[in-house]
Amino acid sequence: MTDATSDKFDWAAPAFQATLRKRKRSQLWLKSLGLGAILIAFAMLFLLVGSLISTGYHAFTQTHLRIDVVLDADLIDADAPERGNYRQILTNTMQAQFPDVADDRAALRRLTSILSNGAQFTLRDMVVADPGLIGQTVTVTVPVSDPYDQLAKGLIDSDTPEENRRLKDDEIANFNRLAEAGMVSKPLNWGLITNADSRFPELAGLKGAIIGSAYALLICFLLSFPVGIGAAIYLEEFAPKNRVSDLIEININNLAAVPSVVFGLLGLAVFIGWFGMPRSVPFVGGLTLALMTLPTIIIATRAALKAVPPSIREAALGVGASRQQVVFGHVLPLAMPGILTGTIIGLAQALGETAPLLLIGMNAFITSAPATPFDSATALPTQIFIWADSPERGFVSRTSAAILVLLTFLIAMNAIAIYLRQKFERKW
Amino acid sequence: MYDLKKPEHDVDQAKTKISARGVQVFYGDTQAIKDVNVEIADKTVTSFIGPSGCGKSTFLRCINRMNDTIDICRVEGEITIDGHDIYAPDVDPVQLRAKVGMVFQKPNPFPKSIYDNVAYGPRIHGMTRNKAELDEVVETALRGAGLWNEVKDRLDTPGTGLSGGQQQRLCIARAVATQPEVLLMDEPCSALDPIATALIEDLIDDLKQQFSVVIVTHSMQQAARISQKTAFFHLGNLVEYGDTDTIFTNPRDERTENYITGRTG
Repeated sequence: MTDATSDKFDWAAPAFQATLRKRKRSQLWLKSLGLGAILIAFAMLFLLVGSLISTGYHAFTQTHLRIDVVLDADLIDADAPERGNYRQILTNTMQAQFPDVADDRAALRRLTSILSNGAQFTLRDMVVADPGLIGQTVTVTVPVSDPYDQLAKGLIDSDTPEENRRLKDDEIANFNRLAEAGMVSKPLNWGLITNADSRFPELAGLKGAIIGSAYALLICFLLSFPVGIGAAIYLEEFAPKNRVSDLIEININNLAAVPSVVFGLLGLAVFIGWFGMPRSVPFVGGLTLALMTLPTIIIATRAALKAVPPSIREAALGVGASRQQVVFGHVLPLAMPGILTGTIIGLAQALGETAPLLLIGMNAFITSAPATPFDSATALPTQIFIWADSPERGFVSRTSAAILVLLTFLIAMNAIAIYLRQKFERKW
Repeated sequence: MYDLKKPEHDVDQAKTKISARGVQVFYGDTQAIKDVNVEIADKTVTSFIGPSGCGKSTFLRCINRMNDTIDICRVEGEITIDGHDIYAPDVDPVQLRAKVGMVFQKPNPFPKSIYDNVAYGPRIHGMTRNKAELDEVVETALRGAGLWNEVKDRLDTPGTGLSGGQQQRLCIARAVATQPEVLLMDEPCSALDPIATALIEDLIDDLKQQFSVVIVTHSMQQAARISQKTAFFHLGNLVEYGDTDTIFTNPRDERTENYITGRTG
């Protein structure tokens, strides 16, 4: 036996102090690396949201023009007000504002183009709704067309040489005269969510996309929630543990990782090809998204079921509850917060999914909001895709605004998920 | 060394409640219980002692077929209660578990109210016809578990809010509420402080008036205090089984003696 006292470890030895310092250094390194990673992530997020807001905020207002319109009885047939020549009425209105402009067609057309193309339809709808207006003068506030909207928002640089500019000097001067007359206003652009899509940016809105997305998500939820929970309960609680169930489990995990465009192709082939369902409808979109959401929900539900402590199962089994009573009376209620969280996150993922919807044609140009899930519609992400592809300047800011709307929905859904988790979380 | 003063010992008169013959339990390829033969008397406290992993809990869980819930577990041999084979094909394990109650090591009340915890068993078995009857069953069970006076004013508060000892008595009340014939207890006091333990031990002594209690324990003092019969398990074998007095004062087997004197275990 060696002498224990002489072998006693010397805590003050320089060699030990050196390792101690090394240990502290590496700890510091790890900490600063983690902190750096988080800072980078935050910076990226800030950059993303910042750039979206800086381009998108323009779309939250829309330049309007308040004009007095003479609803000339010569131009509107009182028996068929829907077929009146409202275009001519608007031309006359604009000509009255600018009596000095030459009375030739080209010059007049340029004047009228200050107004949105939708203005004539606004007038028509007014008159159709109240034919008594014919012959009177009404004051209406109508959107201005995209180039003038850009001008009013300061997005057209007057230093650009005239030939490279969308609006020539005289057009800018005309618009400035209107502005000086106090006829131009820039109210909040509710049209962004109350209008359906349009070829004209000043009229384009997200109503069709929001309703289409809502229908698609509803269908997706109705299908994937019960099926997903059912599958998870069977696999977790009742299925015998053997090779077949192992194989199923591996495949479900793989399905969760399958690129969404593949689900889109599947939806195209099966729902539209075989079953002959219509194209571009939220119903098919929902079915396709459900295929994609199912594995997410199954995995989340199984994890939530697994997290219920075995002591609760034993307790229930111990007083003579059947397997089914244990699951539905105890395990499922306790797992519900986890299941709901997983489901909402799955649905949020489905809400942002674009590729499968492109494949089933939900990127069609549709100018009315769907009334049922079986009407053609777009969805929010596909609407963003369409707008991002459009050449008109006005769609640049609208694309960003639409992304912000989509992000708002996603944040809201995640907030609900967090709230549910906090509220129903149980401590054992 | 052990407190062996126990009130009455009419063990020989008690008739056999549970009888096990040639019981073997396998987890996959591992054999956990090797050929156990034991006769457990009615209205008696029987304790199973032995070192960790000796199979005493496994054997306990055979008596109410809790092992059925483990896929890889296989039970051979015969266990009868009142002469009926509980592993016969016509026996429903769910019904069996209502008749053979169980209390677990860690108190595991449901995250529901105290009332619902106790009422759960009677409810799922349809043992009562109306609310008044159910109230009575709950009260009887809580009184039987010595918990009534402490919780009668807050029956609708969560059972998980009680102290550890109260939770365990709540679990006993829950088991008693289905009017079992046998009560299995798997180390019911191992997570409790000495005062709560003493309460439960008194309770066990009361409960044996109504039915047979089988308790697994790591505390030999506890086994000596509360049980009339003791079985010593070692490495899956039932080494010795007999009157508690005999086991603790005059064990026949050397392994038993080593264990109770603290030389192994």
